[in-house]
Amino acid sequence: MITETWKFAPAYELPSWPFAAPPELGSATRHRHPVVIAGGGLAGLTLACDLAQRGVAVVLLDDDDTVGVRGASSRGICYAQKSLELFDRLGVYERIRAKGITWSVGRTFSGADEVYNFNLDDDSLSEQPPFINLQQFYLEWFLVERILALDAHAIRWKSSVDRIENGEGGVVVHVDTPAGGYTLEADWFVDATGANSRIRNAMGLEVNASRGTDRWCITDVKFKKPFAVERWTWIDAPFNEGRAVWQHLMADDVWRLDYQMSEDADPEAISRPEVAGARLRAQLGADVEFEFVWIGPYQYRDHLLERFRVGRTLFIGDAAHVVSPFGARGGNNGIQDAGNLGWKLALVLQGRAGVALLDSYHAERHPAAVENLKVTSRTTRFLAPPSAAERRIRQAVVDLARTHPFARKLANTGRMAQANAYPPSPWAPHGAQSLQNVAFDGTTVMRLLADGTRFLGLWTGAANASWAALQSLASTWPIAFRAVAADSELAAHLGAGAGTLVLVRPDAYVAARIENASPASVETALRAALSLEGDS
Amino acid sequence: MNTAPAITDPDGFYEAWLDAHRGLGDAASADLDARLVLLLANQVSEQAVLLECIAAALAARRAG
Repeated sequence: MITETWKFAPAYELPSWPFAAPPELGSATRHRHPVVIAGGGLAGLTLACDLAQRGVAVVLLDDDDTVGVRGASSRGICYAQKSLELFDRLGVYERIRAKGITWSVGRTFSGADEVYNFNLDDDSLSEQPPFINLQQFYLEWFLVERILALDAHAIRWKSSVDRIENGEGGVVVHVDTPAGGYTLEADWFVDATGANSRIRNAMGLEVNASRGTDRWCITDVKFKKPFAVERWTWIDAPFNEGRAVWQHLMADDVWRLDYQMSEDADPEAISRPEVAGARLRAQLGADVEFEFVWIGPYQYRDHLLERFRVGRTLFIGDAAHVVSPFGARGGNNGIQDAGNLGWKLALVLQGRAGVALLDSYHAERHPAAVENLKVTSRTTRFLAPPSAAERRIRQAVVDLARTHPFARKLANTGRMAQANAYPPSPWAPHGAQSLQNVAFDGTTVMRLLADGTRFLGLWTGAANASWAALQSLASTWPIAFRAVAADSELAAHLGAGAGTLVLVRPDAYVAARIENASPASVETALRAALSLEGDS
Repeated sequence: MNTAPAITDPDGFYEAWLDAHRGLGDAASADLDARLVLLLANQVSEQAVLLECIAAALAARRAG
């Protein structure tokens, strides 16, 4: 037997940014900031970018001086349409598109047979594709550069939060830096420091954590082979001892191959290059040249914080919720937390919304996290049946799925992240539903929402006196109006018949559909959506 | 026999089915599925369709 030598690709070259001593350091004056965010991962950076774009003087504290985690370990790779639409508004989408891999087709196999496939493009009306794959640190890198272009002092590197005092009138934040510690104050403090948040733990908040027993090993590999640019998953791959495998392309010709291991596998042993290399040879064949980029064994876990807002502190991203990776519901939901919270903070700080609007962040994103936990738990159960009965039922599904379409709907290797609908609430009595970034009349929904922090009133009625009266609201409320042809694709997507005013929030969710709209009925909906009920 | 997708909430049905098996031994599990087949067969009701379903279930069996 010939012994193969295993090659590693050169490490990614990641940027770093210098620590700069902030004005608070060595000063007796304690500065107060409208928003302080701890943690520069996807959720924290997205929120900082969103706030900076809205003109809020944000401070983001990051304990590192670069992007990515522990070197170039890739973490998240799939960015969903709703995230991409948000990044379009934030001005980083074009870089993501140019660097990343656009895809919409997924296929699931059992052995050598295809069990089911989907094409997410079928339901898409958006200017952005259903998904783009990109190593997480690239996305973080683009966000950092965009934030610094908006506000050169917004990010403080090498600055970790030691502890906070979550007071009624403000939050006192104690920061450690290489040049010593200092204290600053925040109107609102956001914990985006991830799954193991020390800030959250110090506050004694319960996250109901549980850990899966299922074991996986990611192998990011560089090779050139004309594989389809699609999401391929195997329920039981013949080249992985009958266990599951994921195959997905990222930027720089790097493939993410993720192998399900036996539960009792030794993580050190399964991630040795010769062991990982043998798995790759079984999948790729003998003649494909490849280089390792990264090998990382993992077990997934989940947790869910009970309250996403505690006084003046808000929790976003993994600090609030963690799910298993299937369906790309981790990073995308951290990004959506940020998209939900940014405009609310901005309007509260401007005095154009009531403080109670921040309770809607929990009222909307907590149910979204519950839903994501339910959906991902079903997938983990399909992929790792915990009992003989569950294995037998899964086998029945797979056996029938080869011939019978109905059974394909039961095979579950991940339900891809979608924009969660929000339940009925005081802010949106009929719930809030996501709106895609539809192009119309030479503009798009997101382009209209990129201008300031405003609602959008989309009117499907005639250019009559009611329409003129409605538009007069733009002088007193944070709202802009646009007419939409009643027979257009956008009107159909809005679910609005002729003569309806659709109230779209700054995060591109529909807050209300108002038939026979008058200025009074639209003001009522705006007051509710902005928590201004008590005001006159 | 209709084999086009008709179950309104496939993932929810699958989860409820698995939940019903939780904690059962092999024999109790097989008994549960037998009772379930009978109940579902009564919903189908048509003899010709039931025979087609039996034949399809047999045909889908993996070789070996």
